[in-house]
Amino acid sequence: MTAEDTVAGVTARAVDGDGRISITLQVNGREQRIQVRPHHTLLEVLRNELGLTGPREGCGVGMCGACTVLVDGRPVSGCLLPAALAEGHELTTIEGLEGPNGELHPIQQAFVDHTGFQCSYCTPGFILTSKALLAEQPDASRDEARAYLAGNLCRCGSYVKILDSVMDAKERLKG
Amino acid sequence: MPEPLRLFQPTSIEEAVAVLAELGDDAKVVAGATALTLLYRQRLIAPGALVSIGRIPGLKTIEVVDGELRLGALVSHREVELSPVVRESIPVVADAFGKVANVRVRNAATVGGVMAESDYASDPPAVFVALDAVVDVQGSNGKRSIPASAFFVAFYETALEHDEIVIGVRVPVPPAGTGAVYHKFVTRSSEDRPCVGVAGVVRLHADGTVADLRVAVGAAAETPQRFWDTEALAIGKPLDADLIAQVADAYADQVDTLDDMRGSAWYRTEMVRVWVRRAIESAAAAAAPAR
Ligand SMILES: Cc1cc2nc3c(=O)[nH]c(=O)nc-3n(C[C@H](O)[C@H](O)[C@H](O)COP(=O)(O)OP(=O)(O)OC[C@H]3O[C@@H](n4cnc5c(N)ncnc54)[C@H](O)[C@@H]3O)c2cc1C
Ligand code: FES
Ligand code: FES
Repeated sequence: MTAEDTVAGVTARAVDGDGRISITLQVNGREQRIQVRPHHTLLEVLRNELGLTGPREGCGVGMCGACTVLVDGRPVSGCLLPAALAEGHELTTIEGLEGPNGELHPIQQAFVDHTGFQCSYCTPGFILTSKALLAEQPDASRDEARAYLAGNLCRCGSYVKILDSVMDAKERLKG
Repeated sequence: MPEPLRLFQPTSIEEAVAVLAELGDDAKVVAGATALTLLYRQRLIAPGALVSIGRIPGLKTIEVVDGELRLGALVSHREVELSPVVRESIPVVADAFGKVANVRVRNAATVGGVMAESDYASDPPAVFVALDAVVDVQGSNGKRSIPASAFFVAFYETALEHDEIVIGVRVPVPPAGTGAVYHKFVTRSSEDRPCVGVAGVVRLHADGTVADLRVAVGAAAETPQRFWDTEALAIGKPLDADLIAQVADAYADQVDTLDDMRGSAWYRTEMVRVWVRRAIESAAAAAAPAR
């Protein structure tokens, strides 16, 4: 394969000998340059290349939310998004939520205080989705929170305590 | 090692179309990637090249022009759901997009993607078919417009040529006083795909007779189902329980329902009967009688 692969005047992203392209991601406020295959998902790349294990694979098909990443503040499934298409966007994982001295984000603290989890596999996804919810709807009711979070699944069934955590986090964020 | 997957990121529609024309079936368009990633990873498709249209400017517009709501191909489901322009002009469109999957899928999935995917169990297609929407596409031979009812051809098959991309959808804004609803009936979980989805549009004369009635049924057959002859029977008649039941029965008779894990063909037929009736009832309730 030649270095330049141009079709109808459009040049494909250059690949190395292993079929990888070089991409730059903006993750938790830091620029990261990595080599990926075009079909590698953001979830795989965050976990395997960047060591960010907060996003997890549950279903792998967009239904559970364990892999949630905020893209420009909006929750998306990392398991459905090719990492190469996440270039140019601001990405946030659970690792990006703590403060400069390691203090927990108020939503994280609310989940701890209410024990809004059991095994905690789903927790990063719930916290990130709650963050987007409370940014969009700072006064979200319990029902609105339930509807927004309906696509996040918790195998342990911690839903009641999760909603308690989110409702308390809402008050904490208002200060 | 198989040939590496190539990624093209054209910055104009013309460039994208030219790459598709040259590479033929070996190239796949990618927009929000929610369906494409799954197809690729489940090895249902194995393209040699991806043509991402995400860098093409001008495909993210939401506007009302000349009595039509215009949605660009790259507008996300969530943007349609929340758009004040959509909510004011044709609220049922915002409502239907808001009922899709979960918030993560709605943030990524696009208007062009749901059209081109032509999944029988998607929600927006039935609404577009009921509202007489038109799909604008562009290929090597230029632009053309396809009625939504002719765009969906079969399971995962559309009227698109391999070198054509969807550039937008136009929806005529119904006359004032029109009631339009979308009922999504799910059988498993709240954020599941529909077992049956019914879009109903009703406009009444001042005397309560039908000025306009349109019904499209989604997720029950290969493509959204609409029966113009049945609709025509209702025009000019008083919209009473008998007439509504006649239309609902006619739809239940005519839709060749399919079996899947969300419901058997028999069950779907009965649900078509129920939800067509309810869609007409609630569209009529939402319609204001003309003065
Ligand atoms: C877990 C899950 C649940 C879902 N539930 C629902 C539901 O309940 N209701 C519902 O309606 N939908 C649902 N969907 C979404 C839907 O079926 C598709 O996944 C989505 O609409 C595709 O949009 P996209 O932009 O991500 O398309 P992509 O995945 O990028 O592309 C989909 C297909 O369309 C082609 N394509 C994309 N854009 C264009 C274009 N502009 N021109 C030509 N071809 C194009 C691609 O080549 C590909 O073949 C669900 C999806 C997931 C993952
Ligand atoms: S792993 Fe992505 S949604 Fe379940
Ligand atoms: S706490 Fe175990 S999956 Fe939610």
